Amino acid sequence: MPDFLPAWPPAPNSFLIFALLLLAGLIGGRLAAMTRVLPAITGYIAAGFLLGPGVLDWLDPATLGDARLLAEFSIGLIVFDLGRRLDLGWAGHDRWLLPMGLAESALSFFAMFALLRYAGTPMLEAAVAAMVGVATAPAVVLLVANELKAEGPVTRRMLWHVALNNIVAAIGVTLLLPFIEASQAGTGLNPIARALWLIGGSFLLGYVAFLVMVLLGRWLGKSPVPQFVVAVSMIVATVGAAQLGRLSVLLALLVLGVCARNLDRKHRLIDVEFGRAAQLFFVALFVLTGTTLSPGQFGAAAWIGLGFVVVRVVGKAVGLYAFAWPAHISMRQAGTLALALTPMAGLAIGMTRPIYDVAPEFGARLTAIVVSGVAILHLLGPIATRFALIRAGEGEPGARD
Amino acid sequence: MPELAFKSSAPLTFGVELELMLVNTRDFNLAPDADDLLRRTTRVAPQGELKPELTQSMIEINTSVHEAYTPLVTELRATRDVLAGHARKMNVALAGGGTHPFQKWSDRKIYPNERFLSVSEKYGFLAKQFTVFGQHVHIGCANADDAIYLTHALIRYVPHLIALAASSPFYQGVDTAFDSSRLSIVNAFPLSGTMPLVRSWSEFNRYYDRMVDLGIVKSMKDFYWDVRPKPEYGTVEIRVCDTPLTVDRAAQIAAFSQALARWLWEERPVEVDRDLYLTHSYNRFQACRHGFSGTLVDAKRNDARPLADDLRETLDVIAPHAQMLHSEPALDALRATIDDGNDATWLRHTFAETGTLTDVVRRQAELWARA
Repeated sequence: MPDFLPAWPPAPNSFLIFALLLLAGLIGGRLAAMTRVLPAITGYIAAGFLLGPGVLDWLDPATLGDARLLAEFSIGLIVFDLGRRLDLGWAGHDRWLLPMGLAESALSFFAMFALLRYAGTPMLEAAVAAMVGVATAPAVVLLVANELKAEGPVTRRMLWHVALNNIVAAIGVTLLLPFIEASQAGTGLNPIARALWLIGGSFLLGYVAFLVMVLLGRWLGKSPVPQFVVAVSMIVATVGAAQLGRLSVLLALLVLGVCARNLDRKHRLIDVEFGRAAQLFFVALFVLTGTTLSPGQFGAAAWIGLGFVVVRVVGKAVGLYAFAWPAHISMRQAGTLALALTPMAGLAIGMTRPIYDVAPEFGARLTAIVVSGVAILHLLGPIATRFALIRAGEGEPGARD
Repeated sequence: MPELAFKSSAPLTFGVELELMLVNTRDFNLAPDADDLLRRTTRVAPQGELKPELTQSMIEINTSVHEAYTPLVTELRATRDVLAGHARKMNVALAGGGTHPFQKWSDRKIYPNERFLSVSEKYGFLAKQFTVFGQHVHIGCANADDAIYLTHALIRYVPHLIALAASSPFYQGVDTAFDSSRLSIVNAFPLSGTMPLVRSWSEFNRYYDRMVDLGIVKSMKDFYWDVRPKPEYGTVEIRVCDTPLTVDRAAQIAAFSQALARWLWEERPVEVDRDLYLTHSYNRFQACRHGFSGTLVDAKRNDARPLADDLRETLDVIAPHAQMLHSEPALDALRATIDDGNDATWLRHTFAETGTLTDVVRRQAELWARA
């Protein structure tokens, strides 16, 4: 074969993989939209599932390579955006908001913990799995809300709860790390120092990134394009720095977003919209998420996964209903809110990564416990959120078609 | 068809309707939270009445009926405080202003009640575009013929009221170059404009019956006139004002209308004839476009003069009536506004200072809650 021709068979590169992810997502999303019931996200995930090892096996972790960076970047944008929705001043004005959020988080934790203990899961693993389960998937709820152009009291509260329960879960998992580490033989590291480093370091990183962002914002003024570039570059820098420092990417970005919303007293920053360009990355993210699913996850362990999902939703619902009256929200709103908080993707947002760092075997066991719950919720979660927001009268099907 | 009954009310009593915008506190776009706010206020109700409006980001305050400016402004401030407290708990804010500076009309959601859904069905896209915010002032009338005279005579002063209340320079993200762009939206409705030149209540009834017979209107609510009689309340309703940025300004404009009505009834200085209407659309446009700097053409006097000059002269001439009604402080404040600039000026200054319309709405909301 002449040497100017490429090797045969050609190995796909990152560009082609990215294109494949986008096109597959596009087709999946369109088919989902045609059902008039499913959100586009379900189509993206289904497309990934078909392309992944579970079915066609065109995309596997080795092939995906650099495409994983896209997922990290997408999650960065989403988590930062979520942080910007957490108005701390709101909790000051509505004194039931924080108790309601903490109750919903705590009750779902205890419900999942009790179920796992009942199923014979060891104490520590049950606690960590339940803590991971407290977090609602920020990417799913934000994207479904965007797809429906949802706006209103339920949407606003939903995003507040998602931000809060992600912070609770991230801190909770981090606080459990020393116990996991102590359960491992011969680590020789100081587990308390690790937890402090993870939490303190992540907060500090988010705060420093915010300060830099404000300084740049002040210098650049309120032009949308430069501010967009500042936001994206600071998000990417925070992801990179958190990975470099083995900190929590999730916490650092949430802190960055929360600071941007609450500490920018002179309003130097614009609430930039990531828009259509970001949509590309979100499509790729969910197709990639789909590739991690396999039919086996819905098999033998499915009943525990299903139970996990059910008690999680029930726990959240009880917490929300209990505070509905004092918080001046209607029972119907509490119900739709509970349903909207269904999606869970603790694994996808890297919450378990620090566990793998300190105890790979423990991490693997944990993944085995929650993976079927996560798999089920990848399918049901977006549908539940979509249904809830439409039912609340805050989202319109096909609004952003 | 039975004659439309005009309910007599105590002359010169007055009340205000204010349409307010509900905005989120993140990007300060409109927030569809009217239902939630209404539900909350059933537990701790303010004085007067709170109503939904055409789209879900609007809410309307109706005050009680008053005889004087001071109790009116006191009630408006109290209502504002109650509503602002509820809004804070919902993480939204309320603001004055005739238009939201950058909302997209197509994103609006019609408030789901029978009347508003029928308006939406009837007027298509105009209904969602009607997400604009006005102040209506009701003046009590002893009888229907007094109401007919006042409805006509106030036409001469519509430009004055527009300029005093103008607070809608920005619409759909751009500076419209108008002080009040809101009224351009109202103009699109087929039943906007002015009452026909009828001289008595019986003549009005003949016109009204004909419009009903022809199937054009079903009730008085279908007329979107600048000034209209409101027989079921026994009032004349002035509908040309933008919602001002503060409740104090709203009360001052109501007090101005009350004093004006007293003068018009007692001295009958305006002759009701075709000349009155000859210049109306032009004068109205001038006030919308230029505010106090607009030109006022008077067909009777056969002259054109700056609106600001005519407004100052009007304030002087009605001053004794304001004194009788104990509303001089309100008129003094309005006189200062002619020099200092109206709310449209404030909004443009704020935009020049902050650089974004999001910041403008944030300041609007802050001003409404505290001023």
